[in-house]
Amino acid sequence: MANHSQLNFQDASSPIMEELMGFHDHALMVALAICSLVLYLLTLMLTEKLTSNTVNAQAIELVWTILPAMVLIMLALPSLRILYMMDEINEPDLTLKAIGHQWYWSYEYTDFKDLMFDSYMIPTTDLPLGHFRLLEVDHRVVIPTSSTIRVIVTADDVLHSWAVPSLGVKTDAIPGRLNQTSLFASRPGVFYGQCSEICGANHSFMPIVVESAPLANFENWSSSISS
Amino acid sequence: MAGEGDSEPEKPFKLLGFLDVKNIPCARDSVLYGSLGSLVMGLGHFLATSRVRRSCDVAVGSYICTMLGYWFYCRYNLAQQRIRQRMLKEGMKNRMLFEGSYLDPEKKKTGSERSDS
Repeated sequence: MANHSQLNFQDASSPIMEELMGFHDHALMVALAICSLVLYLLTLMLTEKLTSNTVNAQAIELVWTILPAMVLIMLALPSLRILYMMDEINEPDLTLKAIGHQWYWSYEYTDFKDLMFDSYMIPTTDLPLGHFRLLEVDHRVVIPTSSTIRVIVTADDVLHSWAVPSLGVKTDAIPGRLNQTSLFASRPGVFYGQCSEICGANHSFMPIVVESAPLANFENWSSSISS
Repeated sequence: MAGEGDSEPEKPFKLLGFLDVKNIPCARDSVLYGSLGSLVMGLGHFLATSRVRRSCDVAVGSYICTMLGYWFYCRYNLAQQRIRQRMLKEGMKNRMLFEGSYLDPEKKKTGSERSDS
């Protein structure tokens, strides 16, 4: 989860999120180069006379066409690489359905018999000491570590969005539509997210908690919860 | 013991308010090499031509080019290193999993050596 006043990304827990953070670093470096150039040009303007006899500007026209094109190429190529990587066809080990309601999430593991549950936020008054306010839920989504999970997201009433920042996932939940995304937790842990599409009065109070556990632990959990 | 378990992230130092040069791999080196390249090229151009304005332009241009050039080079090497680390990790895991079984590559190797002799 994010610390207080945290502006940067949470630690990556999936390969896609690692790639996205790398691309973000790359984009910031390009932005630094551009800002340095702009800063320099601005300081030049302070010492420049305000009249000019320039009539032929072919060279500078060429420069300020080619340079932005190169910047766009530098940004577009890695961006498209990650975009296509996110849409790679893989064989998921498990399918999970996440359904948004006002104001809770429900999950269905249809690969198992009768494994479905609702996930409500734990109110602050009932929160045990040391737990995270507005983030904890009564039933977490448990997934096996290092396994590809297909997540199908939809909604029952209004628009919601299923987002887990450290896994690099954000998928809109639209009533009447099934949106599919792929999840891969590289390490065991607990990953928090919140609804990311305004959905009414308690939009801020329907968090998502994904718990990634080794396969044996996941199997124990699935047998215990379905019984 | 001192140094062990010291995993606190460094306090960020953000260049121009947004680029954290301490925590982003290759960022610090890119900015430093860019500055060095800018100094060398700008000063060299001034010494050769005595033109201040043009030397400043050359300095800024070479700062950007050197910084971005080193950035691409460093990130490429970092990506290769990460791939090698992943392959090593996978190899170590597979070695532990398959040790003693028919899939053990060490067993296949010694088996072929015996058949040669």
